[in-house]
Amino acid sequence: MDWIYHLIAGWAEAGFLPSIFQHTFMIRGLLAAILIGPLLGAIGTVVVTKKLAFFTQTIGNAAMSGVAIGLLFGEPIDGTYAGLYGFCLIVALVMTFIKNRSRLSNDTIIGVVLAQVLGIGIVLMILVTSQFNIHQVEAILFGSLITLNDTDLITLLAAAGAAGIMFMLTFNRVMLSSFNPVLAKARGLNPVFLEYLFVTLMTIVVVASLKLIGALLVLVLIVVPAAGAQNIVHNLRQFIWVSILFATISTTVGLLLSGLLPVPSGAVIVLVSSLLFYGSLMVKAIFIRRQ
Amino acid sequence: MLLEHKQDSLAQDTLLVIRGLSVSLGRNEILADVDLTVRRGCIHALIGPNGAGKTTLIRSILGGMPHVGTIRFFFHGDGTIGYVPQFLDFDRSVPITVSDFIGLMLQDFPLFIGTRKTTRGLVQEIISATECDHLMDRMMGGLSGGEFRRVLLAQALHPVPELLLLDEPASNMDEVGTRQFERLLVKLKERHGLSILMVGHDIQRILALADHVTAINRTVIFDGKPDELEDPSKVAALFGLSSLPHDSSLEKGPS
Repeated sequence: MDWIYHLIAGWAEAGFLPSIFQHTFMIRGLLAAILIGPLLGAIGTVVVTKKLAFFTQTIGNAAMSGVAIGLLFGEPIDGTYAGLYGFCLIVALVMTFIKNRSRLSNDTIIGVVLAQVLGIGIVLMILVTSQFNIHQVEAILFGSLITLNDTDLITLLAAAGAAGIMFMLTFNRVMLSSFNPVLAKARGLNPVFLEYLFVTLMTIVVVASLKLIGALLVLVLIVVPAAGAQNIVHNLRQFIWVSILFATISTTVGLLLSGLLPVPSGAVIVLVSSLLFYGSLMVKAIFIRRQ
Repeated sequence: MLLEHKQDSLAQDTLLVIRGLSVSLGRNEILADVDLTVRRGCIHALIGPNGAGKTTLIRSILGGMPHVGTIRFFFHGDGTIGYVPQFLDFDRSVPITVSDFIGLMLQDFPLFIGTRKTTRGLVQEIISATECDHLMDRMMGGLSGGEFRRVLLAQALHPVPELLLLDEPASNMDEVGTRQFERLLVKLKERHGLSILMVGHDIQRILALADHVTAINRTVIFDGKPDELEDPSKVAALFGLSSLPHDSSLEKGPS
């Protein structure tokens, strides 16, 4: 990995990038931003279509419990992967199961689970570390760029690769079954299986982006680029690509700006994506008349 | 014994036989002991008040509804069933065009990366079958009720189905749109020899259109030729929305 760090640090020294990019953790952040941005933008389009925005938030909140459970099973504090991916996946799949099996609305299920997993997480965290360390909680909620390490990056690369391939392979079918599961079934698809598959994919992407963006803000980066794209596009193809573009600009430009300002990267990333959203609203108001 | 014998003699032009179908959701019995026979090459209308279980019956035929009783098909070909849903309850602001919607069904290669040449031609062919050529680049969310129905019908006709199931919405259709849709349906039935089972709401209309009518209200209350209903207005009165206490939300069932 070192040659990449040297290369980018060289650009920072030469003045192409803010001088803070001479630090390895900022370079790692930039690489993470480039990897995760397009994925968040892409899956955001399906999340918006399926109305799963707050489902995503629940997975983010479950990360709190995931970290605590990882620690409980002896994983190191900066690498609780099994706890994180394991617990978040369980929460996501159980929620999907309840949604499919009961007559409760999606909203109600999310309402029940959303706060629960955060509460359980904080309780577990205190029990496990036997003291309340606000920085650990903060790191999960708002992201923690400074603790991003090589293992994180490699995990992120693997997760992004797997999720990206899964997304490409199933996109048409997932999109169709989001419109009408009964129609999808009549056309020979298995909407229930596809829903579980998409929820799994979404969980992988959400967990992978936690250190960069944080649990509290990951929802924003899934929903806002897709919502912004919706304002200005005219077909499905543009929808996906503009959403990918908005999300990638948000993560990379947000990170560059956070290198200049003394604020957490997640917050700046979210602000950039909001600016793009309002910009697209203005473009729509001025230039585009919908049929 | 007698029943089996009867079925065998019917098998030539019989497409679908349902016997003793019951469907319950929780403690609500939505369908009870329904018998239905659909013949090849017919327009078979399914009428009944809101909450009578028409949509549930259609979904049971499609599969995926836990039920008691038997549903048997007598297909000659590969048994394709075309389905035109009542509506698509998707967010109307989602930017998906008519050609995107049809395209999603035709290729596995992700549509946002590219549309195969063969797909493009096929989309054109499919939507022109229901006179939707001019709607190709329009947003699904911006279509009128009638246009929307024709797009949904177009997808159900590819590949040409042995049985076409049409779940017609009770509202949201304008007069002109409805007439155009019906005219199209009759034309397509003749061209492809389609067998159609359709849920209808406008009784007078349905009686003019259908070859066979089954009226249900949880169970079958009439089954026969349209002209056997001597006074159609009586049936209409029977099925008047206000005169029946059933809750229309029952019809939606689990999704």
